[in-house]
Amino acid sequence: MKLFFFVAFFLLTTNTLFAQNFTVSGTIKDSTNGEDLFGASVRVKELSNVGAVANAYGFFSLTLEKGSYTLLFRSIGFSDKEVAIDLMEDKNLTIELNIPKEVQEIDAVKVSATKENENITSSGMNVTKFNPKDIETIPVLFGEKDIMKTLQLTPGVKSAGEGNAGFFVRGGGSDQNLVLLDEAPVYNASHLLGFFSVFNSDAIKDLSLYKSGIPAEYGGRASSVLDVKMRDGNNKKFGASGGIGLISSRLTLEAPIVKDKGSFIISGRRSYVDLFLKAAPDTNIRDTKLFFYDLNAKANYRIGEKDRIFLSGYFGRDKLGVGDAFGFNWGNATATARWNHLISSKMFSNTSVIFSNFDYEFNIGSGDEGFGVSSSIQDWNLKQDFSYYLNNSNTLKFGGNGIYHTFKPGSLTGENESFNEVILDERYGLEFAFYLQNEQKIGSRLNLMYGLRYSGFSLLGDGYAYEFDANGEVSSSTAVSKGDVIQYHGGFEPRFSASYILTENNSIKLSYNRNLQYLHQVSNSTTSSPTDIWVPSSNNVKPQIGDQVAAGYYHNFKQNTYVISTEIYYKNLLNQIDYRDGAESFLNNEIEGEFVYGTGKAYGFELQVQKKKGKFTGWISYTLSRSLRNFDDINDGQTFSARQDRIHDISVVLMYRLNKSLAFSSSWIYYTGDAATFPSGKYEINGSIIPFYTERNGYRMPDYHRLDLGLTWYMKEREKFEHNMNFSIYNAYNRENAYAINFKVNPDNPDQTQAVQTTLFKIIPSITYNFNLK
Amino acid sequence: MKALILLTLIIIGFTSCEKVIDVDLNEANPVIAIEGSFSAEDSTVRVKISLTANYFGTNQPASVSDATVTIIDQNGITSSVPLIGDGYYELQNYIPSFNTVYTLNVVHNGQSYSAQCKLFSAVPLNPLSYEYFPSFFGSDPGYAVFLNFDDPIGIENYYQIVLTKNDTTLNTIPDYYTQDDQLTDGNTVSRPLFTLFDIADTIDLEFRSIDKKVYDYINEIQATIGGNSSAPANPTSNWSNKALGYFNAYSSSKGSIIIQ
Repeated sequence: MKLFFFVAFFLLTTNTLFAQNFTVSGTIKDSTNGEDLFGASVRVKELSNVGAVANAYGFFSLTLEKGSYTLLFRSIGFSDKEVAIDLMEDKNLTIELNIPKEVQEIDAVKVSATKENENITSSGMNVTKFNPKDIETIPVLFGEKDIMKTLQLTPGVKSAGEGNAGFFVRGGGSDQNLVLLDEAPVYNASHLLGFFSVFNSDAIKDLSLYKSGIPAEYGGRASSVLDVKMRDGNNKKFGASGGIGLISSRLTLEAPIVKDKGSFIISGRRSYVDLFLKAAPDTNIRDTKLFFYDLNAKANYRIGEKDRIFLSGYFGRDKLGVGDAFGFNWGNATATARWNHLISSKMFSNTSVIFSNFDYEFNIGSGDEGFGVSSSIQDWNLKQDFSYYLNNSNTLKFGGNGIYHTFKPGSLTGENESFNEVILDERYGLEFAFYLQNEQKIGSRLNLMYGLRYSGFSLLGDGYAYEFDANGEVSSSTAVSKGDVIQYHGGFEPRFSASYILTENNSIKLSYNRNLQYLHQVSNSTTSSPTDIWVPSSNNVKPQIGDQVAAGYYHNFKQNTYVISTEIYYKNLLNQIDYRDGAESFLNNEIEGEFVYGTGKAYGFELQVQKKKGKFTGWISYTLSRSLRNFDDINDGQTFSARQDRIHDISVVLMYRLNKSLAFSSSWIYYTGDAATFPSGKYEINGSIIPFYTERNGYRMPDYHRLDLGLTWYMKEREKFEHNMNFSIYNAYNRENAYAINFKVNPDNPDQTQAVQTTLFKIIPSITYNFNLK
Repeated sequence: MKALILLTLIIIGFTSCEKVIDVDLNEANPVIAIEGSFSAEDSTVRVKISLTANYFGTNQPASVSDATVTIIDQNGITSSVPLIGDGYYELQNYIPSFNTVYTLNVVHNGQSYSAQCKLFSAVPLNPLSYEYFPSFFGSDPGYAVFLNFDDPIGIENYYQIVLTKNDTTLNTIPDYYTQDDQLTDGNTVSRPLFTLFDIADTIDLEFRSIDKKVYDYINEIQATIGGNSSAPANPTSNWSNKALGYFNAYSSSKGSIIIQ
């Protein structure tokens, strides 16, 4: 710890040894709506290898010797901009980049020689980044543009299956991904049991997925970080956009609060499947509620030259129900208040206060017979981050955060007298972390990013702390009051990544990271459901630890038209959690007794070939991987495949811009089936045939593959208004992919048993109308 | 209007379907399955022993008629349970001793299997009642019988409910109901059982007090038959040495009602 701060102090003060240096800093924005350009770059034409990249708020800082320079500003999708400066003192610039006029032309992907080989030259492992515009035409289920589903078309990211919005990154569990929306964690990223994700693409500016080489500023989950940033809203003029589809519709409104200084954006979505059902003759169907809605809102305002404040929030809810008989609803709510402050032209600070809540409840019956079960998890988070642009070869980031968690695992209340009211012990947790990281350029070829994070978690009580014996029965229970520390866990998380530029078109990268995870979502069923509980680390549950090494080779050719990336990784997971056989997970205060612990291993090879320019664009991804687990209490201690052990995973995405008005797209995915447990025999008990199981996950589901097609018709554009119609077909060749396989007795012949496969989606066409008032 | 609803249902994924498929399964070596019960009601010990068979095979699971079966009471007194038929063993007039533990032993092919179960005293039933339930989402309407009883407070109670319709006992695994008192300890419980009957049916209800291990077993085996778990496993049996099946020592209260 002491050495840490000494080194930091040393690096900060060496600056004074250099004379006559000034700093040019500022913000790079989109000229049409004032949005910050995260990742835009600035290069000094006269000097080789001197440049900087804008941070998430569009801020950049370059320190140069006194003199005259030409700065070249670039960002993908925008025209380059050159600015000549005489650097005699520190300078602050506001740069606005323009979208080239030929954006609607045949070359669908915006042509702008803008750091196209960014994937080669950037430090850190390749981050999978998406901008909603990139994936506008990719067809997805029901024609709803969905960033999460498109992410699953990239290597290393596997969907958890149809009807499921959870995802697996490099063999890790679906609770091992940190999903952030404007810095707030989202605990359940899906609507309607997985058919849609909670991210409304119209409100999203940028999405970055870190599969390896995770920077030290992120922590809390063992496998990956998905950082989603909301748009700030047009600060130049009013804009509206939206779409009407068969299942849901959406509307986004944005406008300046004060032109060029502040703006807001509100984006909402609602599905209305149940409105059609109201016309049904059957009263039960008429009373069915089946919908979701969500709202994203953000406002920002620039106070003076050095300060900017933001307020953003998300609120979404899903409701399923039948009249008074049954109701199930759940949702996330998040809110972030943020203050950006320029401490100096070299030091940027971000302070955020973040709130996040996820809860579900279900109700059965009403009045005297009604009762309900509910559960929630709530976080309050204070976060402070600093970026110090020490010099052109070193950028330091450091900071810390503290999260106060409130866990309400379950309560049963209601008027029904048959049931006693049950309120499971509430728990509280304090999770905190500090980090320090440096991004360093050595010479013109080597980029290093190295850092250390220290994180800790204290489980605080109320109720009882339990100890269990080998069979999961309670062996002791100790009363704890609110505020007592039941258990503390903590540790260091080293992070390292390096990239070496071989030539302008080739680079190799290497990374190592350790991630600690203190919150766990233990799931007992095939599909991730809102009722999967989040459990904190405790005196029984240890934090999950993920250690990953990864290496990659990247090659661009034909002037960056083709990009090839290959990566290999090996991940070791410790303190993995599963349920023991026959576990009782419903409203169980002693749930920790139902857990068993083990280890996991995942390794693989990923290949992606992208074509980024021309009439035809798209990519092919291939992943070859294994994901294995070992638990003393499962499968007699033998190593078994994790459910997500899909050996081959292929995605082929093709987009073809026919002409100014038509764009065609298709995606084909193929993966070898999930590991599953099938019977190896049968026996009879009380006249029923019972399947007999031997190994866990010793079998495979059938291979999954499907083709989706989409056609977007860009209709006649007017000066202030553009619109398009999107037609798509999901599962175009109507393959019956297996959602589940059940083994049962043949209803027509009780002496026979059979395997019955359920398919969720066959061929589904849909139409969506989209518009944009600009 | 109908077309619109059909379109909606199709759109939201009711395009799902089921079909029978071929699956290649490994066939494990046969394992012994023992169903044992001791009913305090008629003082009879009944044991049925069989072996596992290939899953898709047409042969019925083979019975085991060469095992030695004995039952031991809390005082260590052993009684033999003789073979009476193909794989069936029975001992009559075995007087129960309530709130004591019984051990059932089976020896076969040089292997020993043993299960223990506590015999609890019966909890009385209150008079049964019934109510008409109209059609729900296309299901047939009918009368459901209510289980009425007072749960003893302060004791962990586990129950199994077996219904008999017009002298035919609904005695297969999916027909059983289970009840615990985790949420209802000490309460007067009135719970509808959703096996629907018609007018003029005579319903007999057997209310069994059972051991927690048997309660867990019945729930797990019902889930296994339902086939809806992603990580299915063999139900946790109270037999040792990896035998399948269970040993249920129980006492009963009975009630009757006629739907009119």
